[in-house]
Amino acid sequence: MLMHSAVQNAAEAVVGGAVSAADAARAFALPEVTEGPWWVALIPFLPLLGAALCGLCAAFKVKSKLPAWITVALLATSFAITVAMFQQLSGGASISHAFRWIEFRWGPEADQIFTANFSFYADNLSILWMLFVTGLATLIALYASEYMSHEVGTGYCRFFAAFCLFVFSMSCLVLGDNLILLFLGWEGVGLCSYLLIGYYYKKPSAVAAAKKAFIMNRIGDLGLLMGIFLTFVHFGTVEYRELFALAEPYVLALQQGRIGDIPAIVNLIPVLLAIGAFGKSAQFPLYVWLPDAMEGPTPVSALIHAATMVTAGVYLIARTYPLFLASDIALPLVAWVGAITALLAATIGMAQFDIKRIMAYSTVSQLGFMFCGLAVLTTAGGVFHVLTHAFFKATLFLACGAVMHGFAGQLDLRKLSGVMFMPGWLIVGLAMLVGCLNLAGFPFTAGYFSKDLILAEAFITPTMAPIGWILLFTAGLTAYYTFRVFFRVFVGPKEFHPGDDAHGEAETDVEEHSEQVEQGNPQAEAVGEKAHDVGDEAHGADEAEDHEHGHGHFHPHPPGWAINTVLATLALASILAAGLYFIGDKGWVDGMLQSSTAQQVYLTQEGTRASGYALVTAEPAAKGTFLGFDPHKAMYYVSAVVGLIGIGVAFVLHYLGRTEAATSRADKLLPAMGPIATWAQDKWRVDELYDMVIVKPLRVISHIFHVIDKLIVDGLVNLFGVLPRMIGSALRPVQSGQLQGYAVGMAVGLAFVLLVVVLMAVAGAGVAS
Amino acid sequence: MSEKLAILWPEIILFLGTCVVMILGLSPRIEARKACAAVAAIAIVLAGIVGSLAPSGGSALLPELMNYSKGLIAIIGLLLLLLATGTVDRAEERAIAAGQRTFDPLRATRGEFYAFFLFSLTGLMLCASADDLIWLFLALELTSLPTYVMVAISTRGTRSQEAGVKYFFLGALGAAIFLYGFALLYGGTGTTNLTEMHAYFAANGLNPIATAGLVISIVGIGFKIAAVPMHFYTADVYQGAAASVSAFLAFVPKTAGFLAILAIVAAPGWAYGTSGESLPPELRVTLWVIAALTMTVGNTLALMQTSIKRILAYSSIAHTGYMLVGVIAGPGDGSFTQNGVAAVLFYLLTYGVLNLGAFAIVACLEHDRGDTTEPDEADHIDDLKGLCRTKPVMGWVIVISSLGLLGLPPLLGFFGKVPLFTSGIAAGEIALVLVLAINSAIAAFYYLRLVNAALLSDPDPKGETLRETPLPLRRVAAVVATGGVIVLTIAAGGLMTAAEQAGTYAPMTHDEAERYLEAAGRASQAAELPEAP
Repeated sequence: MLMHSAVQNAAEAVVGGAVSAADAARAFALPEVTEGPWWVALIPFLPLLGAALCGLCAAFKVKSKLPAWITVALLATSFAITVAMFQQLSGGASISHAFRWIEFRWGPEADQIFTANFSFYADNLSILWMLFVTGLATLIALYASEYMSHEVGTGYCRFFAAFCLFVFSMSCLVLGDNLILLFLGWEGVGLCSYLLIGYYYKKPSAVAAAKKAFIMNRIGDLGLLMGIFLTFVHFGTVEYRELFALAEPYVLALQQGRIGDIPAIVNLIPVLLAIGAFGKSAQFPLYVWLPDAMEGPTPVSALIHAATMVTAGVYLIARTYPLFLASDIALPLVAWVGAITALLAATIGMAQFDIKRIMAYSTVSQLGFMFCGLAVLTTAGGVFHVLTHAFFKATLFLACGAVMHGFAGQLDLRKLSGVMFMPGWLIVGLAMLVGCLNLAGFPFTAGYFSKDLILAEAFITPTMAPIGWILLFTAGLTAYYTFRVFFRVFVGPKEFHPGDDAHGEAETDVEEHSEQVEQGNPQAEAVGEKAHDVGDEAHGADEAEDHEHGHGHFHPHPPGWAINTVLATLALASILAAGLYFIGDKGWVDGMLQSSTAQQVYLTQEGTRASGYALVTAEPAAKGTFLGFDPHKAMYYVSAVVGLIGIGVAFVLHYLGRTEAATSRADKLLPAMGPIATWAQDKWRVDELYDMVIVKPLRVISHIFHVIDKLIVDGLVNLFGVLPRMIGSALRPVQSGQLQGYAVGMAVGLAFVLLVVVLMAVAGAGVAS
Repeated sequence: MSEKLAILWPEIILFLGTCVVMILGLSPRIEARKACAAVAAIAIVLAGIVGSLAPSGGSALLPELMNYSKGLIAIIGLLLLLLATGTVDRAEERAIAAGQRTFDPLRATRGEFYAFFLFSLTGLMLCASADDLIWLFLALELTSLPTYVMVAISTRGTRSQEAGVKYFFLGALGAAIFLYGFALLYGGTGTTNLTEMHAYFAANGLNPIATAGLVISIVGIGFKIAAVPMHFYTADVYQGAAASVSAFLAFVPKTAGFLAILAIVAAPGWAYGTSGESLPPELRVTLWVIAALTMTVGNTLALMQTSIKRILAYSSIAHTGYMLVGVIAGPGDGSFTQNGVAAVLFYLLTYGVLNLGAFAIVACLEHDRGDTTEPDEADHIDDLKGLCRTKPVMGWVIVISSLGLLGLPPLLGFFGKVPLFTSGIAAGEIALVLVLAINSAIAAFYYLRLVNAALLSDPDPKGETLRETPLPLRRVAAVVATGGVIVLTIAAGGLMTAAEQAGTYAPMTHDEAERYLEAAGRASQAAELPEAP
């Protein structure tokens, strides 16, 4: 087992039975901090420049794709700079100072200092994050240039301005060298998320979803803010460099089982930070906003609500890992919340019909996996899963988006079938297949390796085995619902019903596609006819769905070069990411993290006993096992089998013998499941529960307070408002406009001041004598 | 004297600019006349660059003050210049362009206007480098005298002329008062040099004549900063003058006054009172009473107004009161949050930018009265109604400027007020800080009225004659000032450092003062003066 030497020293000292202060002085290796190059600051500021330029485009009413190209170019440069920084970084951390931002001093000697600067903390953890944030952002901006093409004009500029602003905020969040800059980025990404979910601001559901996301995030942000406050109160700094050094003694105390030495406030800080992370990363009970966030344009769902922003919570925990290690309650809390979320979201995802929503629930579920990964002390597993998930989930979303774009907003899996074999859709289908295999944990895919790390480590960590079982079960469900989508939408009989979102471009496209048919594409024609027929039937059966218009004329328009390029690149990246697992001793990510503060930490036996949880002594005997096997080895087979079972069930229920889009064999099982299926379809009625338990009582209370406010508070305020007005009206006659009056006023004023001074002098003389 | 020349280059540049502008303004060629503003802008930019790069000099007591102030003056001065474009001669030039009239140098005032503009800025920069009472007096008057004329010629109406005359007479009275104070100071210390005066005070303490001189000087300079009891003229003059000139009046004489007050109170210094860290008690009480009254009177009178210019005039009185808190607090230990001097200097910057944005709105909106007459300024608060919807740029300018002046975090005004509060608390002036806090709350009433009118009200149906000014530079000034509010908010850290440095106060100890006086050959002179009772 690869261990850091300092940790090894500490562990050996304990095993040897002689803990000398000198040997055990280091809980973990603090990275050596050096002065970073100035150009790191360009990583966030280029996107900011992009946002400004897109804003200018909006001001000048640019009616071309210019904003998209500006965005792609600047984000690509930003990515290149990140790669350059990655090359330059060899372990350790560097701080690049951009400019002084906030610095307050107070206290008798001005020795109390609050500093939060625009400085960028680049270490392996933050650069790893920036690599996929900027890389994916570039690709998704390219995808969006085509996807949003029917919005060209002010809306297009607005979209890309918010997109750039998001990347700026995310960079500040990740690269900031203090918690305040992190919070600025945190709020910034929240704002951009709000703006982009509500992009179609004329649609009431989009506006409601935007508000819901914003408000849910506020709850988490309150936790984060309180955590930052307490951090400053207790540690006296919010800068990582100092903070980690100050947290070290507590980590050491926990490692050695001296729980009594850890003050309650140090226990509380990571819990509050975790609440912030739960909000941003959509964990139970704050997850309900994320599925609704799918109202935004699909590129946004892919970038913000799947790949990057929602992993900010994971980043927060990984970044402040030393604080979490100093608490014996925070990480178990994170583990249980993560596991509950993973299971809950997976069960809901099984019963949904909107493919984008299914992907949203799977994001929530996978984020639960990542939280568990961090909480069972495999930061490498958690972060590796973030990385692989970013790629394959972006692929999945963008593939779904291509479908949505091509079929006029149709996302219902009962209304689409066999898409992959329609002309021009092969790349989308293959990309979808790659994404699905990854998500389902098919053997030798990247998702398989990253999930295995988390699962295995959950069984190794004492007291965390239940988490392991929950996650293993969830992995099976994941495989099922993932392939449910694939088998129904992408393969099987060819059939489609366009959605009712025939955007402006469809008019011109109709011509184009008709020509294709004339040029001898009988297949497409056949598809169109079939669609028409079945569509009428469906119309009769389901009156609520109105897709009258466009029938007979509608032809799906397959994606163009930008979308196909991006999908192919991402699918390839998802496949290649598996290779990272084989680099180095325990995988590339682990190697990266060992030189950051998110390194794996080992406890002594005392620590394990005293905390009742948390691993991992240097001795193998103390490790947990998976039914008596080494979890790491066993998990390769077990999770592969679980995943294949899930896929197999989906194959039998949703592919075999299916002749049309709307029904499958699974429907026959529904009556047997009774109300459970309906409940799962209704998302376990969590939204209704929140409405009943939180929203309604709050509304009653707010009415009560409204009355109190009107009667008492307003009365008081009005009273104080009247007072200055009375003084004002008393003074007003003096402002007569008369020159003589003013001169007299000045003279009297001078006389008054002199009188006061003379009286003072006299009184002073009286006291003195 | 030659060492003084080194620090006077900015003023010399401005003066040269003034001469060129005065001549250009009389040219019969329209291109030459139009170059006035450009020449003035170049002069200001050059002066600002030279001024902030010059070796530090000026007063030995506030050694770093000069460069910061000159940079500040140049930045705000440039924005004021943008705003002042087209203030004079608009109807005249239109008539000439239409061929109704030929150019008559006796009727044109453009050259004078820009020349006086630059003269006033020259005076202001001289205030920043003053270390002598005579110098200070001349600088203050050089700042003020051109403004009297600028007010009178700013519009063709009689109200401007009335305002100009009123301003001139009351200004003369104010000048007489502080000149009397200066005379008493000379009588009490035997010197007009402020460094020498400081040495005298440090070595021998205060005497009644000097104390009276200090108090009367401060009250008299109160006219420049529009402090009670010298504030009466403010609303009438600001309302009578064109908005661009009012914006000038709200910044330039006020800054001159504050630089003068800082120079004068630095002479006795903050070395008296029970703690040994406050101003001489008489001076402290004077400033205390003036500060409290100024804030309260300014804010309460602003509540009743319906004219935007009058609201801003009274609010500028209130801001004077806020800044006096910093003067009373003094340099403390020199760190930004405790240094009242730095707080005043920083506040001047924030106030300059924000106030400019607020006045710019009046300068940028006008009622079209047909071709025959000059358009009226849209000065009534109802003119702002629904502005964010009808003219979004202008609407947001007034919203952001008002919220900034109110001190709403996280805008610039908030960062300006924080050090005033903290330095006041650090200096133990808790009661005055409370007055400041209450007044900040009262100010919310009228600032929020402006915001409310622009942002939340429905457009005024009578406002169809309302239009944006055709002068693009004024709109640029408004937008730049508002953008500055946001940009400077982000860059506040660096500016705070600059202000902290500019607020450095270098007093002498008793021994140093005696040595200094001995070197100046004045030790014996000091002994001849009457002892304090």
